[in-house]
Amino acid sequence: MVTVTIDGHEVQVAEGVNLVEAARAAGVEIPTYCYHPGLRVVGQCRVCFVEVEGMPRLVTACSTPVKDGMVVNTASDRVREARQAVLEFLLANHPLDCPVCDQAGECYLQDYSVEFGTDSTHMVDDRRRFPGRERNELGPHVIQNQNRCIHCTRCIRFTQEISETWDLTMKSRGNHAYIGTFDGEPLDNPWSACVADVCPVGALTVKEFRFRARVWHLDETPSVCPGCSVGCTIDIGHLEGIVHRFTPRENPEINGWWMCDFGRFLAEDLNGRDFEVPRLRGERGLQDTGWQEAMAALTELAEVGSPLRVVASANATNEALYLAKRLFLDRPGAEVVVPVHRGEEHRVKNAQRQWVAGADEHPNSTGARLMGFTTVDTEGLEAFLRGGRGPILILDGGAHPWLLSQEAARAVTGQKVAVAARKASPLTGAAYLVLPLASWIETEGTLTSSTGRVQLARRGLFPRGQAKPAWEILALAGRQLGVEVPTPLTPRTFFEAMAAEVPPFAAMTWRRLATEPGIPVLEEVAHVG
Amino acid sequence: MSLARTQPLTIAPPEELLEVSFDDGMEEIIEEHLRHYPTRQAALLPVLWLCQERWGWLSAGVLRAVARRLELAPAFVEGVVTFYTMYQTAPPGKYLLQVCTTLSCALCGASGLLERLKEKLGIDPGETTPDGRFTLLGVQCLGACGEAPVIQVNNDYYTDMTTEKLDQLLDELP
Amino acid sequence: MTAGGAMKPILLRARGEDKSRSISTYLRMGGYGALKKALIMDPAGVRKEVKDSGLRGRGGAGFPTGVKWGFVPQDLPKPKYLICNADESEPGTFKDRAIIHTDPHMLIEGIIISSYAIDAHVAYIYIRGEFWEEARILEKAIAEARRKGYLGTNILRTGFDLEIHVHRGAGAYICGEETALIESIEGKRGQPRLKPPFPAVVGVFGCPTVVNNVETLACVPHIIEHGAAWFAAIGRNERNSGPKLYGISGHVRRPGVYELPMGVTFRELIYEHAGGIREGHELKAFIPGGSSCPVLPADFVDIPADFDSVAEAGSMFGSGGLIVMDDSVDMVWALENLMTFYSHESCGQCTPCREGSDWALDILRRIRRGYGRPEDLETLERISRYASQGMTICPLGDAFCGPISSFLKHFRNEFEDYIAKAKPLPPRTTPVLPVRSGRGRFGI
Repeated sequence: MVTVTIDGHEVQVAEGVNLVEAARAAGVEIPTYCYHPGLRVVGQCRVCFVEVEGMPRLVTACSTPVKDGMVVNTASDRVREARQAVLEFLLANHPLDCPVCDQAGECYLQDYSVEFGTDSTHMVDDRRRFPGRERNELGPHVIQNQNRCIHCTRCIRFTQEISETWDLTMKSRGNHAYIGTFDGEPLDNPWSACVADVCPVGALTVKEFRFRARVWHLDETPSVCPGCSVGCTIDIGHLEGIVHRFTPRENPEINGWWMCDFGRFLAEDLNGRDFEVPRLRGERGLQDTGWQEAMAALTELAEVGSPLRVVASANATNEALYLAKRLFLDRPGAEVVVPVHRGEEHRVKNAQRQWVAGADEHPNSTGARLMGFTTVDTEGLEAFLRGGRGPILILDGGAHPWLLSQEAARAVTGQKVAVAARKASPLTGAAYLVLPLASWIETEGTLTSSTGRVQLARRGLFPRGQAKPAWEILALAGRQLGVEVPTPLTPRTFFEAMAAEVPPFAAMTWRRLATEPGIPVLEEVAHVG
Repeated sequence: MSLARTQPLTIAPPEELLEVSFDDGMEEIIEEHLRHYPTRQAALLPVLWLCQERWGWLSAGVLRAVARRLELAPAFVEGVVTFYTMYQTAPPGKYLLQVCTTLSCALCGASGLLERLKEKLGIDPGETTPDGRFTLLGVQCLGACGEAPVIQVNNDYYTDMTTEKLDQLLDELP
Repeated sequence: MTAGGAMKPILLRARGEDKSRSISTYLRMGGYGALKKALIMDPAGVRKEVKDSGLRGRGGAGFPTGVKWGFVPQDLPKPKYLICNADESEPGTFKDRAIIHTDPHMLIEGIIISSYAIDAHVAYIYIRGEFWEEARILEKAIAEARRKGYLGTNILRTGFDLEIHVHRGAGAYICGEETALIESIEGKRGQPRLKPPFPAVVGVFGCPTVVNNVETLACVPHIIEHGAAWFAAIGRNERNSGPKLYGISGHVRRPGVYELPMGVTFRELIYEHAGGIREGHELKAFIPGGSSCPVLPADFVDIPADFDSVAEAGSMFGSGGLIVMDDSVDMVWALENLMTFYSHESCGQCTPCREGSDWALDILRRIRRGYGRPEDLETLERISRYASQGMTICPLGDAFCGPISSFLKHFRNEFEDYIAKAKPLPPRTTPVLPVRSGRGRFGI
């Protein structure tokens, strides 16, 4: 550790970090464009100038490592004037089209111009334009407006250093240089939308999100990507009950600053809902009903005598799975499996630039295994469903893609099935009881990633209609079945009960999870499955 | 006395350069270049020169072949090619008339040469005559300021130019 | 040696010789004798000799060559490289081309001795792409030297190995900057690197690298042959020693390359050697050492043309490429011409240079079209203040800011005259991308 003084604040930082990070540690923000903590330092944008005592010239904070005893001034007149000049240069050719720019509100050109720039420009000449590259579909997910580009090359470096796909390059040179792909081929790699995340301005924007909401209206809920077992840390952006986007949130151990397109574009799926109230099969088929009736029907089903077969879910939170364990795994009279779909391998780089690969397409298969559940693949699941005449409880109709198929409905023909689901499928059509299940953003709880880290996904929206999250359904069912369920009925209560009871989660607290980017499960069990 | 000493460039038509491969002669030269450097990437500029000498310009197909040969990303190769002004990414004329327009040449009458060529050829800088014979370019300092004004035709410098010498040169080019 | 009088040529001694480029001519004139002498010295001895000679880099910066060589770490288990910078592209500079045309073996011998001095076994000559003929001359000379045993393995049976490869650029002034040049050799866009680390420690392929100009390297055989003291005695003061190639272009009667002792005055250069200003005109201004050096008005013509005297006058000696302008020159036009060059040659990676060079050009074009505004001169000064002095990664920022500030300082009245006669700004037209003069599909 070395000690540096930044604007009068003394701070201890690790050797080798640059002045941007040291200043951040001291609570001082130094504006940056080309600098990104996950990418190679290039020192190109020149906005991060600071004054270091003993150095005759201003230095770029991004390319200057700390030295013990360094005294740094980020607020002197020299620094202020240099920043103003650089910002004026950056804006000299910028179209200033913020009112129609979708980046407005999360644009560093706006923010730093307000904070560190001047309120006017000396520029009266025609601004640079790139006809044909003003609304250019760079790839399936990214739209380019080259007029706004500030040549920071973050996007290029992302494709070189993180995705390693090398799709983007700077073409031409000087003031006319522009970002492009080889021969205009589409920018199509598994992480392509990250180039819009790293773009500090509105030059690259995500096609799926463009013009859906002004970001200052958007609510951002800290969550975890539901796409695979990597469990990328994300924010879910939503407005007035509609989910508009997923964006990666910094998590050095799991996803760095990145996420894959597969996970990112699951966002839209959260807006679909077919069931808002429980539905119970009566004489005239499935009929809307109330939760009380529904829970009574569920209890009846569970107490019918022959063993209850339960399909739990690797998409459910640790708390829901913990309750499922208490209700079904720890008591006689039920058989439980967790279906796991391997799917395609999704991977992402962490902050150390190591690949973190998913084991399957579930956000909590690791949690399910740690809780002691048996996992099954498609065949195992089908055999499980066909392997008896007793009632079946499916905790999530979308727990496995096969459950959405016609075969799944055929496999349960003639059996009484209760299924919690958000969307209609052949299976819900064949069910005896359908419980409206809360969506990912309507649920709060913890998840265990394949790297063995437990993270907290917050609830951003109240469940639509009368939908309930799985943990609540299970807690209510537990009461009906006479299982002791800790109160009050909140995810936190169940988490703390789980932490006290299930060893891998020992010593974890909700409070820590709420402030830290994931806590590793105990080492010896981190690599189960 | 004859002035012209420049041979026309061979310009491959775009349809021949959609997909290219390197013949044995080119391969031999590429291998030689690769021996000069500890990395493959370092041979990029020489290999691009080789291709341009062979085909007259660098199509996307040529860039793809170069990228494959040197194990580089095509986008990276295109970024390099477009950084440098001498690599042609569209088919030029048989004669690249490159008029130096920077200060020393400009002080000595370069603009007269450029005007003369525009008038004679009926094209502006950056354009090619319809017969595909000449491409006119105004270029930056050619580094022969003591013999200004200077015109480079393909690889050859023509120094101490006058409009008369220019007329003679155009007449003499094969 | 008399003031202004021609000295016995050293670097251009072969000028006028029959077949001056051939190795037989070079050998006849005593060529490769210095190499034989150097190879029986130890490398440290060669380095000391060059350091003691006071040789300063002839590429423009004037950094002492021996000191630069001294930065190469001797104990690093990595190969070391020598690069000869033949990317001569600074407007007004054409001396290296003269050396290559006249006496390529002098350069080759200088490269071999210098490589020996820094323990390099591979040397590259990075030559600008336009110098096609010069690249062929060098390749031929290298082949000749190889056949005679001056290159290859076990040179002159001393156990020293060296290969020299010619690497052609492809049209980019910025590649004359040593780290851009290194990037270009590595097969990348020629964009200067952040420093530190400096090339002497981390250069081409991550290895210690020395980049020296053609003329600098051509001096080395003479230093070895005649000794540091002999070299230091040439020139009119001790910090500016050796012979110098002065390139004189523009409005003089006899433009060309002249070899003179460092420290000759500009008056001697212009009026005695280059034959004076063309008929009916008078000297108005001169750019002392390549277009990046601040312009000086005629009153400065009596200062000595060496690194320190020109710096004192507020300009730079640069590469010794003198551009002479007579009283017919519109200085606003001249600055616009230079800014066209710099905005075309800015690599575009860092903000002040990319935006500033083009912005300044736009302003100058507008002033010349008759739409200047009084505030424009302040804006130009503001640009020149904030795109120089370490605000940019490489010296290209300073290279275009020096002309802006010096033209405004010495010839402000001409700018003001334009502005006084100017019309109000025309209504904004739809902005379109200006088409640049350049090769190929430049821009978009």
